[in-house]
Amino acid sequence: MTTAKATLKDGRGMEFVITSDPPAGGMKKTYFTPDRSSVVQFYHDQSTGNDPQRLARLEAILTKYNPTIPESQGGARGVTQVAADYFMKLFCWPTSIVVKPEVGIVAPTYPSSYFFATGQFQGKEKEGRWFSSPKLRKYLPKEELGTWINYLKLCILMARAVRRLHQAGLAHSDLSSRNVLVDPSLGLSVVIDIDSLVVPGLYPPDVLGTPGYIAPEVLATQHLTLRDPNRKHPSAQTDQHALAVLMYEYLLYRHPLGGPKVNSTVSAEEDNRLSFGEKALFVEHPTDNSNRPLDLLIPYTVLGPLLSDLFARTFVKGLHAPNDRPGAIEWERGLVKTWDMLYPCPNPSCTHQWFILHDLSKVRCPFCGTKLPGTIPILKLRKETRPGQWMQDGQLVVYNNISLFPWHAFGNIFPGEEADRTPQAYCVFYGGQWLLINQNLSSLTSPGGNRVPSGQAVALTDGAQIRLSQEPHGRIAEVQLVKN
Amino acid sequence: MSESMGRRLPVYLVLDCSGSMSGEPIEAVRQGVKALVADLRSDPQALETAFLSVITFSSSAQQVCPLTELMAFQEPNLDASGSTSFGEALKLLEQAIDTEVRKTTPAQKGDWKPLVFIMTDGQATDSWEAHADRIKQKKVGNIIACAAGPGADSAMLKRVTEIVVELNNLQPDTLKAFFKWVSSSIKTTSSSLDQVVADAPVNLPPPPPQIQIVP
Repeated sequence: MTTAKATLKDGRGMEFVITSDPPAGGMKKTYFTPDRSSVVQFYHDQSTGNDPQRLARLEAILTKYNPTIPESQGGARGVTQVAADYFMKLFCWPTSIVVKPEVGIVAPTYPSSYFFATGQFQGKEKEGRWFSSPKLRKYLPKEELGTWINYLKLCILMARAVRRLHQAGLAHSDLSSRNVLVDPSLGLSVVIDIDSLVVPGLYPPDVLGTPGYIAPEVLATQHLTLRDPNRKHPSAQTDQHALAVLMYEYLLYRHPLGGPKVNSTVSAEEDNRLSFGEKALFVEHPTDNSNRPLDLLIPYTVLGPLLSDLFARTFVKGLHAPNDRPGAIEWERGLVKTWDMLYPCPNPSCTHQWFILHDLSKVRCPFCGTKLPGTIPILKLRKETRPGQWMQDGQLVVYNNISLFPWHAFGNIFPGEEADRTPQAYCVFYGGQWLLINQNLSSLTSPGGNRVPSGQAVALTDGAQIRLSQEPHGRIAEVQLVKN
Repeated sequence: MSESMGRRLPVYLVLDCSGSMSGEPIEAVRQGVKALVADLRSDPQALETAFLSVITFSSSAQQVCPLTELMAFQEPNLDASGSTSFGEALKLLEQAIDTEVRKTTPAQKGDWKPLVFIMTDGQATDSWEAHADRIKQKKVGNIIACAAGPGADSAMLKRVTEIVVELNNLQPDTLKAFFKWVSSSIKTTSSSLDQVVADAPVNLPPPPPQIQIVP
């Protein structure tokens, strides 16, 4: 094993293993440290690395924009230790700048779950494309594919990561299935290639983006010179487009703009530029069917009203109007609320195993058509907006062994990076009825006004109003029993 | 996959199997094709879009593998003997592209412009000029020609395409490096398709030191 030594900006040395044929991406080549815990990356083009703008940007990314280090240790403003630990898992954030033998960066190695463990692609990185393309899914072992609930989970993590970037004023500028690795077997995602982040107004973006994820306005104006005021550059708004494309792909296994409509017969390339740029059209446009694939069977509306609205705002209203696209934080909220509408499909051979139960007049799995047996309790979650005024701001579809978390019990808690994830109570079907069993709620109160201590249960009967907590912001859950 | 995303990237390997390739060189080509297919099969973008065909030429030319998706592709038996029917190979290439590559019509999304790699170590023994001129004029695809070893004729290849590279020798390592470069060129093309301007040359990764671009 031949090693070389890199000198970091802070003067420390770092050893890395020299290989004749290092893995290379579009801009960088990668070497591993001897223990393989970190990678040392150098730019193909030396002048890229030596660009003072890039160095200043790297410096800012590593310090005042860094959500993976607490503020007290030089990270971004407001970042706590809990948040830093959380975001450490959502990003592969660079840790140091290399100054010798040439300019480069040090970053942590991706966790092993982002490499295929089995099958013919063992050892390859889990780029999102493997899991969103029906053609490629066929080649993957079943255990790598995971179930559909994990795709919803990794979408939440991805939206949260992008929300954190945008919250700080950063834009990723090249979100794509290659720059977000996913692990559907565990429902995880990690955003990589952080060193190209864009601070609007400060640093010009490096790249247009990756085909399939480039916002229509960027593709439609790429022929203009870089300084032309009409030229559209990657930004937080184009990230919003790319993020929605990724989520549409992971949740529905198809591309939102990849339909059959031909926009030019001059060449495939010209047609593609128009179909993903100036003439881009959502495959599920409500009034224009011309780009709808014949084999499109599952409409995006199966994802429930919140995600349907977000997709429509991105791909119908906001496709050519970037200002109308929903922000990453709206996606995060919509996904989290949609998570509370998940229901397990009782059909063991269902391809998805889970679905969003939102149409109470038609309770069946949209993926396999199976009807649901029995009674399904729905908890309508209300919070007190003014003394005595209770407003519904969420609901929870109940299935056996589902847990209630602090954000269900209290109206002022968001299940983000700082949230306490200790289960507070759970629901079971026992002895012919649905029960809510208290675990950690200090003042769960039955409809009759009695306290329900930890370990005790309250029955979920139609119309029952259960006070989840008497503490400030404690919610009321009103039970609706849906019979099939 | 919805039909429109089923746009394929056709890749043609046009390989010289004349007598001068026999022995170590043809074995290195066999290994090169094998490594190329294995490498492409592990790349999601290539696996999704690239389709591969092999045309060989010696005393005659034949399409030993029709355009096939990567997972179904079976490596051909390559043997070296005979003369160098370069003209016939070009004629066959043109025919194959004509019949196999889907054109974009108002009703159907066609394939991407084909990517063609031509490799020869010698001089044509048949009449080839008219075929070369027609291929160059028709712009049937993005063609990269490789003059392999001291006996190859770069000027002949320049008549087919602007993009000509030279290999100094036919050593196994040199041929291995060439096929690796072919593989990364296919990967680059399959992941940056819609940025390819229709009439501009493809954006190829920089070749390794054993390969020189002929200006």
